[in-house]
Amino acid sequence: MHEMSIAMNIISIACKEAEKDGASSISNIELDVGKLSGVMIDSLNFCYESVCKDTLAENSTLSINEVPAKASCKKCNHTFEIDSFMALCPQCESYEIDILQGRELKLRAVSVN
Amino acid sequence: MCDTCGCGSDSTTFRKHGEDHHHGDGHSHSHDHHDHGHSHDHKHTQDRTIAIEQDILGENNLLAQRNRGYFEAKNVFAINLVSSPGSGKTTLLEKTLATLKEEIPSAVIEGDQQTMNDADRIAKTGVPVLQINTGNGCHLDAEMIHTAYGQLKLQDNSALFIENVGNLVCPALFDLGEDKRVVVISVTEGEDKPLKYPTMFDAADICIINKIDLLPYVQFDVEKCKEYALQVNHNLEFFEVSATTGEGMDAWYGWLKEMSKK
Repeated sequence: MHEMSIAMNIISIACKEAEKDGASSISNIELDVGKLSGVMIDSLNFCYESVCKDTLAENSTLSINEVPAKASCKKCNHTFEIDSFMALCPQCESYEIDILQGRELKLRAVSVN
Repeated sequence: MCDTCGCGSDSTTFRKHGEDHHHGDGHSHSHDHHDHGHSHDHKHTQDRTIAIEQDILGENNLLAQRNRGYFEAKNVFAINLVSSPGSGKTTLLEKTLATLKEEIPSAVIEGDQQTMNDADRIAKTGVPVLQINTGNGCHLDAEMIHTAYGQLKLQDNSALFIENVGNLVCPALFDLGEDKRVVVISVTEGEDKPLKYPTMFDAADICIINKIDLLPYVQFDVEKCKEYALQVNHNLEFFEVSATTGEGMDAWYGWLKEMSKK
């Protein structure tokens, strides 16, 4: 359950930034989570709730922006959206693709007051 | 135990073979314990948004890069071995170390939730080994590796084998600073493991198919397995071995020798 470590990292970064800003509490945390990031969003939400207890982020919400995955074909250079690592190029049916987007795991912004 | 989140640095232990239980020296939490006792002159009452744009695993990635720099400076070839439990990582290591230890000075970091069993097995080869017990943790992280190699005192021009916690999911996301990541699958598992756990196969450089001596007794199509793995990661290189009988191990040893010369 690596989502617990990830939730802890989110709180750590968010609280540090909120403290720097002199905020008294965090109301929302905004994330980018790539479709191929290896993180289960349900599980992350579950872990987040328990990790934010007794921190500046207690009772805050988590806004997750799911980033779609994109790849380009090494053979024909076609760029296309994929929903898993095992994607075929729709143009030339090659498996030799480079993943361009979808591995993101990023803290975008923190709303504080 | 940390009261804030329930995680505990207390629960991760670092032990050398034959040593009594003690808690990790210097292993710090990856999160802060916030003390909100300070006051601020400026009071903000309105909601405002702070742009952060940081990688959530940035701290681990930074520590992993620090480890990588240390390994490079000492010319240590570091390998992160990952697999599901029971694929034969420890046997593979035992055989590898017994064969190569004169040629390549080596050290081992063992990761398991509990017990010294794997470190005790490795210690019999005469190679320095440190056991990390992660308690409830499901993966090793870069900070644990930093603490562990500090205690192992790595030699220059050597190899470091890190046997990760048996788990095909979580270790995929945590860079330890290794040169190469090696995923091990055994023929007693399903040949579709690469399709079921693609994140791990995507993050690996090498795939070892182990226990090939059992192929006559199980329904495992090696070519199919390789095809699935290549669908996930077309850059993967394969070794088909039996750590128990030694079949196919020479190619693996040859690769290790070549890599550790670089």
